Amino acid sequence: MTLPNLRGRVAWVFDEDDYDIDLIIGVANIKITDVKALAALAMADREPGFAATVQRGDLLVGGRNFGYGHPHYPAMRAMRHLGIAGVVAESFSPGFFRGEISMGFPLVTCPGILAAVRRGDEIEVDWQAVCVRHLGRGSSLPLQPLNAAERQTLEAGGLIPYLKQRLARSAGATA
Amino acid sequence: MVEIIATRIPQTMTEKILARASGRAIVKPGDEIEARPDFVISYDFPGYTDVFFREAREEFGVDKVDRPERFVLFIDHMVPAATPKEEELHRVTRTWGAAQGVPVHERRGIGHQVSAELGYATPGAFVVHFDGHVSQLGAFGTYAFGARKGVLEAYVSPTLAMTVPATVKIVITGSLQPGVMARDVFHHLVRVMGPASCAFKAVELAGPVIEAMSIEGRQTICGQAMFLGANTMLIAPDARTLAYTQGRAKLDLAPVYPDEDAVYERVVTVDVSDLQPIVVIPPSPANTRDLRDHLGVEVHSGYLGSCASGRLEDLRAAAAVLRGRQVRPGFQLHVVPTSQAIMAQAAREGLIESLVEAGAFISSPTCDYCYGRIATMADGQRAVSTGTLNTPGRMGSVDSEIYICNAAVVAASAIEGRIADPRPYLATAGDAP
Repeated sequence: MTLPNLRGRVAWVFDEDDYDIDLIIGVANIKITDVKALAALAMADREPGFAATVQRGDLLVGGRNFGYGHPHYPAMRAMRHLGIAGVVAESFSPGFFRGEISMGFPLVTCPGILAAVRRGDEIEVDWQAVCVRHLGRGSSLPLQPLNAAERQTLEAGGLIPYLKQRLARSAGATA
Repeated sequence: MVEIIATRIPQTMTEKILARASGRAIVKPGDEIEARPDFVISYDFPGYTDVFFREAREEFGVDKVDRPERFVLFIDHMVPAATPKEEELHRVTRTWGAAQGVPVHERRGIGHQVSAELGYATPGAFVVHFDGHVSQLGAFGTYAFGARKGVLEAYVSPTLAMTVPATVKIVITGSLQPGVMARDVFHHLVRVMGPASCAFKAVELAGPVIEAMSIEGRQTICGQAMFLGANTMLIAPDARTLAYTQGRAKLDLAPVYPDEDAVYERVVTVDVSDLQPIVVIPPSPANTRDLRDHLGVEVHSGYLGSCASGRLEDLRAAAAVLRGRQVRPGFQLHVVPTSQAIMAQAAREGLIESLVEAGAFISSPTCDYCYGRIATMADGQRAVSTGTLNTPGRMGSVDSEIYICNAAVVAASAIEGRIADPRPYLATAGDAP
């Protein structure tokens, strides 16, 4: 099984280092569980109307150490609800990276991405070719490959189906 | 004929602990292992424990966790409950614990501290939690890892799949000047090394400053490992560690030490002889600055507590600053000892009395001040805090601000209503214990 390529427009560029993703919906709102309410709050204080600009399959681009702080799950739940298919960043904060891979949400580490794209550009994440392509310019940057567990978690669609597969395999191995 | 020569492979503490936990002779960075947690620690929080309990049962058909004596639950957030929904979450936790034979500790303090008091911080043990601040168990030579939702695996399987991290060794040299605390040392590391400098690594902390440091100070530093990007941080046990864990440790494990010739990804030496008190300015824990450059900033409230700070040495420092003095009228000073054991000892030492007489509001242990559930700030207000994080909105309105600093700075700022240097107060403190 291989991971499907991600192909979409850059819906937003978070160019700041150490970006705390809770700010996307506002720290005051992290206890909200209704995903529609969360989606309505996403980026509200940076760009009202952001939701209407997102097309299904769009991607976010982030800077270095994206997800620093105490990353909670609602921000990316909101983004997924709007149609965001993944995040490509210079680098990720480990807690955020682990948490979102568990959710089956693709995170792509790609040094150089910040300087290479602007909001609205169309890019493609090609896991097999291990690169991120700028479709308008035809240029590409190498991405850092996932390890086996991370890749299998994404392929399975998240932690729960991945764990089920793994536990079934180890039960099969010992049967 | 091939001659097989048994070669000793030097190992870091991390590698030794993870080798034992995964049943291997050795592991090396990058190995993907299945490690058996000695302890699985959680506090109840909506979307975490309630979901783990349900998913274990409904998705995995696990009615009973494997070896429940490895598990422990703390009720330390939403204490006391303010809504029926919060109390219902606690009830779910108590019910699950009773059915599983898993102890539930409530109102004893912040779980990361109480874990140490109860002996889950066994030197050499491998511990998992969903919350990364569990890394503070590393102060006792425990490898304690916050796996976020990944901790679900430990609820449904005896092992947890993980990648062995490379280890970065940080050696802290020199000696600390008066008024400089463990909290300053940690944020100084973020400043000189960078907030992502140890991403996905384990950190082993060593050197004369650590050797001279109290257990409490070590807990403060190790608990913040995530703000260097680290998976966890640990310190080789010494006489002080073993004196603490003797009679408490839940497992009979030989303490683990790094080999002299262990291979580190990097060894970083940081001299702290010239370190002055710091302040971490909003909006990020990456923003360590010198306190002296931010003196005089008007502040409206102060929080002394959290899993990072709020232990006896923090309370002693605050009491030394505040004894015989008064919190500025209108300033809200909240002092929240990290555990009941700490609070009781603070009472025996007269610290509570000094703080109360100075005008502090003292609360029983709870996590709730750290994330703005109570003592919530309004627009335009500003706090000095020993809490863990200074993201806008963390302690109230998104238009309020948090300056992180050591306990003595919180106390001095409470007197002046402005960010203040505690050292003049400490220099003229009365009979400071």
